[in-house]
Amino acid sequence: MNTPARGDRIECVLQAARVALNAFVLIAATLPLYLLAKQSVTPELETFAWPPHWMPHHLTLAHFISVFAVNELRSAVLRSLGVATISAVIATMLGAMLAHAMARSSFAQRVGFSSVSGIRLLPMIAVAIPLGIILASVGIYDTPSGIGLAIVHAALAIPTAALTLYASFVAIPLEIEEAAWIDGASPLRIFLTIDLPLARASIATALILCFILSWDEFGFALLVQQTNRTLPPLLYYYTVFGNVGPASALALLMMIPAVCVVVALGPSLRGALTAGSSR
Amino acid sequence: MRLHRIRSRSTAVNAAARRLRTVFVVVPCIFMIAMLVLPALNGLVLSFDHDGPSLANYRILFHDSMFLRALANNLLVPFGSVVVEFILGLALALTLTARRNRSALIETAAILPFAIPEIVILTLARYIFMPRGYLNGAIATAGMPALPWLSPRSPLAMLTVIVVDAWHVTPVVMLMLMAGLQTIPDELYEAARLDGAGTFATFRFVTLPMLMPAIVGALILRGIDALRIFSTVLVLTGPEGVPVLSTYSYSLWDDAQKPHEAMAASMILALMVTMIGFGGLLLARRFSREEGALA
Repeated sequence: MNTPARGDRIECVLQAARVALNAFVLIAATLPLYLLAKQSVTPELETFAWPPHWMPHHLTLAHFISVFAVNELRSAVLRSLGVATISAVIATMLGAMLAHAMARSSFAQRVGFSSVSGIRLLPMIAVAIPLGIILASVGIYDTPSGIGLAIVHAALAIPTAALTLYASFVAIPLEIEEAAWIDGASPLRIFLTIDLPLARASIATALILCFILSWDEFGFALLVQQTNRTLPPLLYYYTVFGNVGPASALALLMMIPAVCVVVALGPSLRGALTAGSSR
Repeated sequence: MRLHRIRSRSTAVNAAARRLRTVFVVVPCIFMIAMLVLPALNGLVLSFDHDGPSLANYRILFHDSMFLRALANNLLVPFGSVVVEFILGLALALTLTARRNRSALIETAAILPFAIPEIVILTLARYIFMPRGYLNGAIATAGMPALPWLSPRSPLAMLTVIVVDAWHVTPVVMLMLMAGLQTIPDELYEAARLDGAGTFATFRFVTLPMLMPAIVGALILRGIDALRIFSTVLVLTGPEGVPVLSTYSYSLWDDAQKPHEAMAASMILALMVTMIGFGGLLLARRFSREEGALA
């Protein structure tokens, strides 16, 4: 049995722990981002100073300009946009099909959920190396358009799209579909003209999530686009080979889509974002 | 007569609906299998090919000390990472769901590291932990000796990799546990309070048992993901600093130009993930049947 005094002491300690944890979270989230932003606007020579400067002494926009002026960087930005858009559209289309079947039949539901968890068991490296060989034999390995990578990303994102859409297809009352049957609509037409429009909010969510999945994906991009790089592998090479300024500017630009989603769109998307987390 | 027409039409429509459902399941699944499963199977076949079918690729691996280190690290690093993520994630989930402490700002800040692309987090971590990075800068300013956070083959580098890996994904664990915490009915806390339970007793006998399904789920999902660790090691230390199976396989393929040995190494990783993953899923299923409460 706790005496009141002891309970108060425990409460005090817990409260202190909470404050410390909150401070830690704020620092862990903001300080690194500040340092990245600082590096992106300071000349490289100053970034290499020792001990490191915590505030920029000189400001420059050269790194951001180089992202759009240097051919390699500009084409990587465009390629990443294209790959992410194409893969999001394909994954959402196929994911919508799978989610609809999952919402209407228990067999499809079992197949859907087990394929979703089965995909998670495949290590990227075990797929990507042989996949490169297969893509090369079809002639879409490391193309300037990045179409091969877009297709791979689409396959990776189908589970995310399906899980995002599943709940909204389940929520559509069967009476609506039955009414359409009686009016003579075919199942495909019901899907296209009734179910999809009703699920349009989730479709937008799925498109955004699949876009971000592809935009952030590093492993397959590194192995499949060896010379025509997308942003994540390009950032890797810039970081490892010491181009601090452009790397920081690139990293800041890369953060924009995902951070917008989490900060601006808020809680409804957060759960979905974690559903699709994969390496 | 009219009723009969409707009914026969509805069975026809049912058949059509079933056909459509079959197509809707088969097309996406074939796409995923063709792009992800078939390459892995192809890799499995090629891993047994060493100028003809043989086990030579695997035999070579087990004579390579780098491979053995990668194998050991591939258990140590994910284990450490999951432990750190879990402790931090649970602490964050408990603080953020405590009623008096709810704060949208802190919550957004806590989720932010996951919203940032992994490669950006790693770029940042490299600038922080490199020999002349910000962390050593801060240490030097405080007048203490700098530490080699990323020095190859050191336990310290392994610790750095674990911390950075956990930094990025702790928010996932936190969100999963928060979702679990929100399903615990307030009445249980009320009852515990009326029975005179203190903070720790409430946590031990109400929160923890009710949260168990979410904990098991989070540990399995994160465990599977953590085993596949690749980019954290590659960006922070290079493939040889703290080798894990993925980076070892990558450097065999990319630097050493030995694709078949690379595939053998990646197949061992695949076997490891599958075994641990299935073991975890079976355990979770048994657990959820006993508890009857896993979502």
